[in-house]
Amino acid sequence: MEPLTINRKESKLRVAPEWADVCFTCGTCAGGCPVTGVDGMDPRKAVRMAALGLDQELIDSRFPWICTLCGRCEYACPQGVEILKMMRRARSLRERDKVPGPIHKGVAMCLERGNNLGIPKDDFLFLLADLSKEMDEDEGFPGFYAPVDKKGANILVTVNSKEPFGEPDDMKFWWRIFYAAREDWTTTSTEWEGVNWGLFSGDDEAMKEVTGRIVKHLEELECSTLLLPE
Amino acid sequence: MKTFGEAFFEEPRWVTQQCCENYVEMHPNRMNNFCCGAGGGAWAMPYDAERIYYGRIKAQQIMDTNAKMVIAPCHNCRDQIMKGLTKEFDLGIETKYLWELVADSLVIEPWTEEEIKKANELRDAQYERDEIDLDEEW
Repeated sequence: MEPLTINRKESKLRVAPEWADVCFTCGTCAGGCPVTGVDGMDPRKAVRMAALGLDQELIDSRFPWICTLCGRCEYACPQGVEILKMMRRARSLRERDKVPGPIHKGVAMCLERGNNLGIPKDDFLFLLADLSKEMDEDEGFPGFYAPVDKKGANILVTVNSKEPFGEPDDMKFWWRIFYAAREDWTTTSTEWEGVNWGLFSGDDEAMKEVTGRIVKHLEELECSTLLLPE
Repeated sequence: MKTFGEAFFEEPRWVTQQCCENYVEMHPNRMNNFCCGAGGGAWAMPYDAERIYYGRIKAQQIMDTNAKMVIAPCHNCRDQIMKGLTKEFDLGIETKYLWELVADSLVIEPWTEEEIKKANELRDAQYERDEIDLDEEW
């Protein structure tokens, strides 16, 4: 085995060797974590791995992805060890083509086509109009329609792409509330994705881009409030 | 647990209580609560067995309430509880989004003819701009 260099500069997880002293190894984190024991891991062991220079082993393990980043461990830690930051950093350092599941593909799709599932603009607009017609004519909401790119609307609403893709009627819950409240709202024809998967895949650059699009919409459409129903 | 460094614990509870007469808490709750198991992208991860194992605590919390319906303020929680935990742990419970509960509880004051007419005009202008023709086959 190669000798390990343990110092702040060498640590990929940006963990200082002082952590080895800061962490009492009390196990409060592990005691409150629902996935303690999975793959023989727990938050305490993850912290030890980082403190002892086993960065790559942690990055290559499944644990940072089985962890849901809920933060219960960090909340309970009597020493204030930043376990969440370390776990997400471990995700960031995973090679992008080895990010488990579809989340990195979703991020790449969102950057390229404006939403995680690649739903084309025409299909999206037609779907909104079709669902609106159902509400207007058949479901007791006469006059309802889904406003798109409406300048000066009070609320800008983002969309979770799973809904137009697979559960379109679920979009009507919010629409019914807007109808009852006579709310002046809008969504956008493109780049309406509200699910910022860069948060989960550990991709800060992508997160910034996707967030920036929403800010740009808010400014261009002069909306005063953002509703991100995630 | 603290979105944007701020804990919004009471707001969704207040909203839920406006819609339901008999509201019960899970235990533990708020900062001491447990994640459903689908957070942090875990709903989309290829680790289904681990996700269900994670959710066993949430399933037990739900069962202990004896409630008929569970309210989720998040897409992932809702999917995990409704499509994952309910089946795996035989919870026999209905799951709704918080905003679905609100939508189902609305008492709507009917729009006036004037309001409907104005909305129809705005809609027609938008559909013309976006070239939406609902009668067109696609």
